[in-house]
Amino acid sequence: MDASMPLRLQLTGITKQFPGVLANDNISFGVKPGEIHALLGENGAGKSTLVKMIYGIMQPDAGEIRWNGEPVVITNPKAARKLGIGMVFQHFSLFEALTVLENIALGMDGSLKSRELEARIREVMHTYGLLLDPHRTVATLSVGERQRIEIVRALLLDPKLLIMDEPTSVLTPQEVEQLFEVLRKLAAQGCSILYISHKLDEIKALCDTATILRGGKLVDTCDPKQETSRSMAEKMIGTGLRDIVRAKGRQLGAPKLVVSRLSTHKTGHFDVPVNDVSFTVRAGEIFGIAGVAGNGQNALLDALSGEILGDDKEAITLDGYPLGLLNTTGRRKRGLCAVPEERNGHAAVGEFSLADNSVLTARDRLGMVMLGLINSGAAKTYTGKVIADFAVKALGPGSMAGSLSGGNLQKYIMGREILQRPSVLVVSQPTWGVDAGAAAAIHQALVDLAAEGSAIVVISQDLDELLALCDTLAVINLGRLSAARPVGEVSVEEIGLLMGGVHGATEASNAVPA
Amino acid sequence: MLFRLEKRREPSQLMRYLTPVAAVVLTMVVGAIIFSLIGYDGIGAVREIFLTPLTNSYKWQDLGVKAAPLIIIGVGLSIAYRANVWNIGAEGQYVVGGLAGTWVALATHGLNGPWILPLMVLAGVLGGMAYAAIPALLRTRLNVNEILTSLMLTYASVQLIYYLIRAPWKDPMGMGFPQTRLFAEAARLPTILPGTIVHLGVPIAVLVALVAWFIMSRSVFGYQMRVVGTAPHAARYGGFSENKTIWLAMLVSGGLAGLAGVLEVAGPFQRMVPGFPTNYGFTAIIVAFLGRLNPLGVIFAGLVMAITFVGGEVAQTTIGLPNAATGIFQAMVLFFLLGGDLLVRYRVRRVHGAAAPGTA
Repeated sequence: MDASMPLRLQLTGITKQFPGVLANDNISFGVKPGEIHALLGENGAGKSTLVKMIYGIMQPDAGEIRWNGEPVVITNPKAARKLGIGMVFQHFSLFEALTVLENIALGMDGSLKSRELEARIREVMHTYGLLLDPHRTVATLSVGERQRIEIVRALLLDPKLLIMDEPTSVLTPQEVEQLFEVLRKLAAQGCSILYISHKLDEIKALCDTATILRGGKLVDTCDPKQETSRSMAEKMIGTGLRDIVRAKGRQLGAPKLVVSRLSTHKTGHFDVPVNDVSFTVRAGEIFGIAGVAGNGQNALLDALSGEILGDDKEAITLDGYPLGLLNTTGRRKRGLCAVPEERNGHAAVGEFSLADNSVLTARDRLGMVMLGLINSGAAKTYTGKVIADFAVKALGPGSMAGSLSGGNLQKYIMGREILQRPSVLVVSQPTWGVDAGAAAAIHQALVDLAAEGSAIVVISQDLDELLALCDTLAVINLGRLSAARPVGEVSVEEIGLLMGGVHGATEASNAVPA
Repeated sequence: MLFRLEKRREPSQLMRYLTPVAAVVLTMVVGAIIFSLIGYDGIGAVREIFLTPLTNSYKWQDLGVKAAPLIIIGVGLSIAYRANVWNIGAEGQYVVGGLAGTWVALATHGLNGPWILPLMVLAGVLGGMAYAAIPALLRTRLNVNEILTSLMLTYASVQLIYYLIRAPWKDPMGMGFPQTRLFAEAARLPTILPGTIVHLGVPIAVLVALVAWFIMSRSVFGYQMRVVGTAPHAARYGGFSENKTIWLAMLVSGGLAGLAGVLEVAGPFQRMVPGFPTNYGFTAIIVAFLGRLNPLGVIFAGLVMAITFVGGEVAQTTIGLPNAATGIFQAMVLFFLLGGDLLVRYRVRRVHGAAAPGTA
């Protein structure tokens, strides 16, 4: 990389104002050709806004973007792609019922004969070692494989800058390693990569430079290899991090939640049901369930919470009491509360106030209903307590749930369930998309709840979270749960292999002969 | 050049409540233009339909009597629509409610006592519920769309009237007219203002709306309707069964339509006649939306629609407007209302050239 070469991308004084919030405040940094450049920051730090302006989805209010030294105005994503900017989004836009080839063809700007397109796709896959059968239906692919479609789609345009938005949040450790190989190869050929993440270990392993944003401002541009994860995290959050505090010499109690031979029926075409799942969670224990997205986690949560009912009342017991045939209300009354993964529209109603959202799950345990009428005073008081105890940034109990940011809504939802002091709490993705500060607060609250003698089940795709939080760990793959193992006795590689499970095998047998 | 609808981040609450007013005003303006263009006195038509019923105090009692069934049915529909249960067949439930009341009136003919009217009302409510139970059963058991079944059952109910009043219930002294005998005094709804046609159904309508408002805003039942309609997934998580909600919504809206039916037959009609179905059940759909699915709003919306009914009759005699004109005006109100709602929730953006498909 010649120092005299112009920067691939240079931002100078980029500013973007939204009503009530300055999303980007005078941001300036440059990306060199062939550089892997991390963009690091908490949720709401302004990363998404910034890359949306680079990709032409939004326009900056002030500032200049230079591309290979020339000032440019990027009016829309098509213009961005024309310049040579590709982007792989965190959420994929794929049609499940179509094949890989058909999905890629649909996203192309120009039209290309499918035979030519297939030839080009195979060429790109071969060059970068992206293994994928173009004729497979997307519904049969793992998340990692789906992400490869998006990457291939971007690479077909021969980009000079590839933006990756939180690419590893849904991948197994092995898939992450494969992705890094591809990215390193790309960078070696001169393609710059702007890598958005808040996973510090990955940034240390992959990136040459890191630009850290906080509250819309650029805090620091540093070399991640010279920093520790902790020092970068502190720059990102602004204050010193708190570690999870656990009481010493903790003893696990008697079995509390016993799940035996739990199965669910297949409900939708692409759903994965749970199959013959058994596990036991003792009082005071945090039981983690790892796994790649789409392996039956949703069905397992719904079966535990009571949204899906099984046929056997003894399949789920709490302190020996059979819960298998009770609906969510019945299970809550017995002390089992749950938090599903999807916040808006499932765990909370965006169009309702926070107080009304408290009525949704806390009405029976906290006596908010008398003679069929809702005691809105009690709901408001409880909601106020949740807001205060969990530092939810909201105007008050009357705020609409949908007006809260994702992280704040998650803090509210977790608080709403935890303050009910359930004897069993089942949560899915408790800190998905939540910034590090809020994640630490949620983790601490879970640990504290367990310390009071509750049994907790955490379903998550974030292995670091599970390893830090849980006493016991099991892996779900294609609806089946592996044997539970104490966290101290299991290696990341072992878990990764279990997570890859069957997917890894099918991948090898169906891979494109390169 | 294309147009694209983009969801607004936060729809204006003020506009949500101004839309009904704007819809009525737009209806008057566009209605005047259309009727002028086809050769009627357009401005006169709007004046007679929308203003005369208000300025002529003699018409006020008509307003009350027409508004009462619209409000009662509209309240029931607003509850069902809140839960995303689309009962379009209130007209049929209204008819069956009226028939059930008629059956009690005829069966008790010759008897006397203050229990007859309450019994008729009970029969009317149960009749409406029973008729609404058919779409509810089909929806919850076989997943048949309630919009289609409830609408089609309306036409079946009209045939039921024709059958009953031509044969088993025909007035023996009616000189061959297809109608039942006049109800006995004990089976007629009393008027509450002497010298007017304002009957007991009018205060009942206001009471129904007030009670419904209280229940919808304060009770678990109201909460259930709202949460199932807004976020069905969250409702299941909150422990509310979707099927139970469909049943409740259908039974409440059907029961109230049946109540309106029995009050109509015992009040203004006082016998069952072929002209009993007067589209109140369909107009109440407009009333529910115009009232923003809020029982208190339904009171005002019911009055507005009653104005068009009364005014339509006035315009027929004064400026020779056809009866169908009323329907055109009512339909325009709904059209502008739904269009206005769309614009409150979305903004229209002009897109130049072919829209980029984008990879997002």
